[in-house]
Amino acid sequence: MEGRKLRNMFGPQARSQAEEGRNTMSQAGPVTETSNQAGEAALARRAKTIETKEVNLYYGAFQAVEGVSMTIEPNKVTALIGSSGCGKTTFLRSLNRMHELTPGATVKGDIELDGEDIYGAAVDPVAVRRLIGMVFQQPNPFPTMSIYDNVAAGLHFNSGKISKSEKDAIVEKSLRGAHLWDEVKDRLDRPGSSLSGGQQQRLCIARATAVSPEVLLMDEPCSALDPVATLAIEDLIGELKKEYTIAIVTHNMQQAARASDNTAFFNLEESGKPGRLIEIGPTQEIFTKPKQQATEDYVSGRFG
Amino acid sequence: MPEIRVGYQEELQALEASGLGGLDLVSAALTRTLEAVEHQDIELAQIVVADDDRIDGRYLEVHQALITLLATQSPVATDLRLISALLHVLKNIERMGDQCVNICKVVPMTGHEPPADQEMVKLILTMGTHAKALISQARRAFEERNIEMAEDLVQRDDVVDELNRDCFRLALAIGDNADQREWAMTMLLTARAIERIGDNAVDIGEQVAFVVTGLFREFEDASHPDAQA
Repeated sequence: MEGRKLRNMFGPQARSQAEEGRNTMSQAGPVTETSNQAGEAALARRAKTIETKEVNLYYGAFQAVEGVSMTIEPNKVTALIGSSGCGKTTFLRSLNRMHELTPGATVKGDIELDGEDIYGAAVDPVAVRRLIGMVFQQPNPFPTMSIYDNVAAGLHFNSGKISKSEKDAIVEKSLRGAHLWDEVKDRLDRPGSSLSGGQQQRLCIARATAVSPEVLLMDEPCSALDPVATLAIEDLIGELKKEYTIAIVTHNMQQAARASDNTAFFNLEESGKPGRLIEIGPTQEIFTKPKQQATEDYVSGRFG
Repeated sequence: MPEIRVGYQEELQALEASGLGGLDLVSAALTRTLEAVEHQDIELAQIVVADDDRIDGRYLEVHQALITLLATQSPVATDLRLISALLHVLKNIERMGDQCVNICKVVPMTGHEPPADQEMVKLILTMGTHAKALISQARRAFEERNIEMAEDLVQRDDVVDELNRDCFRLALAIGDNADQREWAMTMLLTARAIERIGDNAVDIGEQVAFVVTGLFREFEDASHPDAQA
């Protein structure tokens, strides 16, 4: 992606679609470039880095998150863990400008994608959400759309520029990437809602990747799935990081331990106080020798 | 916030106490072993051999319970390091028990009235006393998570090693009498076994450092003796 300036990606090409507040990752900009072939054998390409500096997040007067500075490294899985209400989901939603969709919600601080401020004045939030996709807790395929159309939904906004065969190729590539192709290739015209929960979530991942994002944000992507489907998604996450930068919010600490490279622990002093980043480090360290006692207590399950 | 998983924490604590209690069994076995050596007490030596089943039993029982905790409780961080260390320490305990057995199996080989060299017997008994001190120091260092005390085991073990070398020198100089040479040979096996008990105590100290720091390092590396920190 070298040389491709974010301003170009955020700015002129991006269409100002109305912000609807959900499924925004499918509001696509143009799919003019597919992934670069990075030199590293293991990596399909080098994805982008998210860096936050002193991020404070508010719902009206209430401060939900305070002073979060962290780096979400490219082609790695960063897990955000912490008890309910610690601000991890709010923080995740700020990373692709979904936080501001809540009435009264505001953001202070810097969030940069490879050095470019995603909250910059010239930046179109819709373009941000194309580059930084989101997968939600509940699988949310468009219920009346076919499997094919669900994946192609993001491309439809650009249908004038894309041929049927190109679209077919992207749909197949996305479904293959989501480990779903073999299961659905013979019934692409069936509704997305005809799939099982785990398949639906993989469909949503295919939909999110169809528009060639840089980053995938996942908010508890497995909490509505059974253990086998959960492990399938975790395997998939391990594959996806070769192409994307991934941040995942999870309540399942063993999932963080299994599926992530880095783990960030959020906590709040008491109810009503803002959530803070307590510690971030390699997952292996967080789960064997964390630096902070609060992290130790949380990952050991000593406190609720 | 309320403390949770209390039962699991209590179980882990109980397993630590039970596992380290194995060191008391070893210490008692070593006391009897030294007595059997000193007095050429074959019956007592046989008791030590039979009683080693208790040490093995403790090893198996605590080991199994720790594996169950791993399987059911997904321990991480300090708990995980503690469990890993205890699994190691249990093996050390089991080995130390076996060294006592090794010594006791040698006792009958020298007959009822062996041509004992009192100076050598004294050396062996001194070694044994030092080894017992190492065992209790290792235990205390583990209980207290005391790295300094754990590292100090190395210096104290050096004393045992030096006594072992003294035994060797004494055996070389013991003379031409075939019976006495044979006796001295069995004493070397005995000294060697006690020296190994000391090494196992130092290994336990290394596990103490692992529990506290999360880093495993050998206090002494026998294959690179010059590279010691």
